Amino acid sequence: MNYRTHLLCGVALLACAAPAFAAETDVIIALNEELEVVEPCMASQSNIGRVLLQNISETMTELNTDNGNLMPRLAESWEDVGGGTWRFHLRDGVTFSDGSTLDAGDIKHSVERTLSPDLTCEIGAKYFGGMTITPTVVDDLTIDITSDPAQPILPLLLSTLTVVPAETPIEFTREPVGTGPYVLSEWNIGQSIILDRRDDYWGEQPAVTKATYLFRSDDAVRAAMVATGEADISPLISQNDATNAETDFSYPNSETTYLRIDSNIAPLNDVRVRQALNLAVDREAFLGTLIPADAQIATHMTVPTTLGAGAALEVPAYDPEGAKALLEEARADGVPVDTEILLLGRLGNFPNVTEVMEALQQMFTDGGFNIKLQMVEVAEWVKYYSKPFAAGETPAMVQAMHDNNRGDPVFSMFFKYACEGLQSGICDAELDADIAAATGTAGEGRGAAWEKAFAKAHDLSADVFLFHMVGFSRVSERLDFTPTIATNSELQLSQIKFK
Amino acid sequence: MQKFLARRAVSSAISLVLLVIAVFFLSRLTGDPTDLYLPVDASAEARENFRQIHGLNDPLYVQFGHYMLDLVQLDFGDSIRRARPALEVVTEAFVWTLQLAAITMVGVTFAAIVLGSLAAFRVGGLFDRVATFFSLIGASAPDFWIAIVAIVVFAVGFGWLPTSGTGTVWHWILPVSVLFIRPFGLILQVVRGSMITALSSAYVKTARAKGVAPRATIFVHALRNAMLPVITVIGDQAAGMLNGAVVVETIFGFPGVGKLMIDSILQRDFAVVLASIMVTAFAIFLMNILIDLAYGALDPRIRY
Repeated sequence: MNYRTHLLCGVALLACAAPAFAAETDVIIALNEELEVVEPCMASQSNIGRVLLQNISETMTELNTDNGNLMPRLAESWEDVGGGTWRFHLRDGVTFSDGSTLDAGDIKHSVERTLSPDLTCEIGAKYFGGMTITPTVVDDLTIDITSDPAQPILPLLLSTLTVVPAETPIEFTREPVGTGPYVLSEWNIGQSIILDRRDDYWGEQPAVTKATYLFRSDDAVRAAMVATGEADISPLISQNDATNAETDFSYPNSETTYLRIDSNIAPLNDVRVRQALNLAVDREAFLGTLIPADAQIATHMTVPTTLGAGAALEVPAYDPEGAKALLEEARADGVPVDTEILLLGRLGNFPNVTEVMEALQQMFTDGGFNIKLQMVEVAEWVKYYSKPFAAGETPAMVQAMHDNNRGDPVFSMFFKYACEGLQSGICDAELDADIAAATGTAGEGRGAAWEKAFAKAHDLSADVFLFHMVGFSRVSERLDFTPTIATNSELQLSQIKFK
Repeated sequence: MQKFLARRAVSSAISLVLLVIAVFFLSRLTGDPTDLYLPVDASAEARENFRQIHGLNDPLYVQFGHYMLDLVQLDFGDSIRRARPALEVVTEAFVWTLQLAAITMVGVTFAAIVLGSLAAFRVGGLFDRVATFFSLIGASAPDFWIAIVAIVVFAVGFGWLPTSGTGTVWHWILPVSVLFIRPFGLILQVVRGSMITALSSAYVKTARAKGVAPRATIFVHALRNAMLPVITVIGDQAAGMLNGAVVVETIFGFPGVGKLMIDSILQRDFAVVLASIMVTAFAIFLMNILIDLAYGALDPRIRY
């Protein structure tokens, strides 16, 4: 063969190696991290949730993030039968992807497996801590679930618990089986995960027939993949890459940034000092500069769509002179307002976090405070954020970002504000009582009870609230899909349509 | 030769054991993986249970004893994050790194030797100046910048190549090219310098005087003698790649051992950190033996 023949053969080989064209109803999704496990009981982790939740593994109930209502999923209905017990009536005719039929025994096993001490499941640790859950099979399609102490929001808690067949062992699975509309077809570790649509799904057939998940750490690469047609959705891109109005969406990502004040140590134990901290921050100045313009100034620990968090609380006005006046007043009463306060930030927590923290340090200094800024990695940060606080007797504020996409403040308020709360910097008897009362309130009064607890935390200036944050997604123009607050933790393929 | 290999094996084994001891205790100094694995809201009970399951409550010397006992049975432990054997996790990633490193280093070696030798043949000539100019740029340009620019130009701009991934031959072109540039610049300079010395030596002048063709003078007589320092540098560059090309792996989505190692360190996945270090150290040990053997093959004065 001569040179030209060699060249032609080479070109032909390369052409053969080119990727095959995907079907029009296939989608490719570029995630920012590889999935380390494909275990349903870990689906509360963002990317595991984006692949598994409601695609492979379904839950008994489902939260409608648009209106905060709870919708039936595997359970058609439920009722409170008293004594901390809720009765769930399961949907008939539901099958798992292995062909077995869903019954109450599967639900019982799923609850016990998720909460098993032999298996460190994030869903169990995150949503079911501090309570005992006992499932009791009534008949094939009815199950009683009892919680101790009683949980008025048990049906909501079950919107987090993924259901697996009773045969699933008490160890992390690599072949998740669920009742969802998709089945895991391939897991090429480190490269891709492929889900195929099930023909025998109990519900409506989704438009997407196949989904391929790819993993790319670099923000710019994920954005470029959608731009070049290599991917259809990148659920998370950076603000800097979100430059195309046709394909790029911002959405509230259920995260709230704030500075947790340790109110047990002087001078931060004086409410005037905490008020002064709030007055010293020019929140408006951040929007559209270091923080995306679509972010909202926060007055609550949870996003406004959460129960009881919709009521308007006053945003502290930017008033450095007022802050100084409050500090002088406190000083006159013997409060050591000149004490150095540690301001601790978490590196990489959100885009521009270091610049935001530097700006805050300057604002506090302008307001008359003696502030020392320290930025640390997550492993170090956790020691300052959770009790026992690593700052010890040093007065400190810890920058944090809290996620509550479950629609109810119970997932936030105890941890952040109760005296026994793991990350609570305040201990106030009235606030404790308000949180306990709201936690135990069911029905119509629950929203008002949480509203009262939020107002109390606000009156105490318990924290320096900053922003309800937004995330950015890039979506191919061929898809009819708009990211929502749920996109931060799940990506239901059944919600994706084609134009 | 056998004595030499045995000596190298023993010294490498001692180094490996010392490395394992150092990494085991140093990695534990970074803290408890419980804080990073469980959500911040996890109860104290859940944290205690996690520590119990993973043996983190045991004194450090007990943990070390368990680890070494398992290790002599070739059990490298399980990855906390991935819930499967650490060695399996590492070898999967290492295969990708090995392929990337092998393809790149073969290309780099061939191109740098040919172009470096030609540049040295007429020092100060046009070819020498051009080769030196571009090799210096290559040796000093940062990987992450080249990678992003390459994606913007060749994937997004022209649409000729995929942005990232591993699926086809096309996917390998950008990462290999980006990884190629720096070692190519460095090795080309070493080849050039070494060849200039070799080409000015008496035996080359004799060969020229006897009418040996320029190609044979360069690639047969001079190159063989110039190769010893070049092989040393090639070995050094290849060892760097076997440790993982973190930037390239991260940007192009290559599931290699470099990114795995960084992620595991950040996540305190100790079993994976240790397994990564041992696998790469073993590979580098093998490569060093090959380099030693290459010295012997090229220079008859070197005998083991």
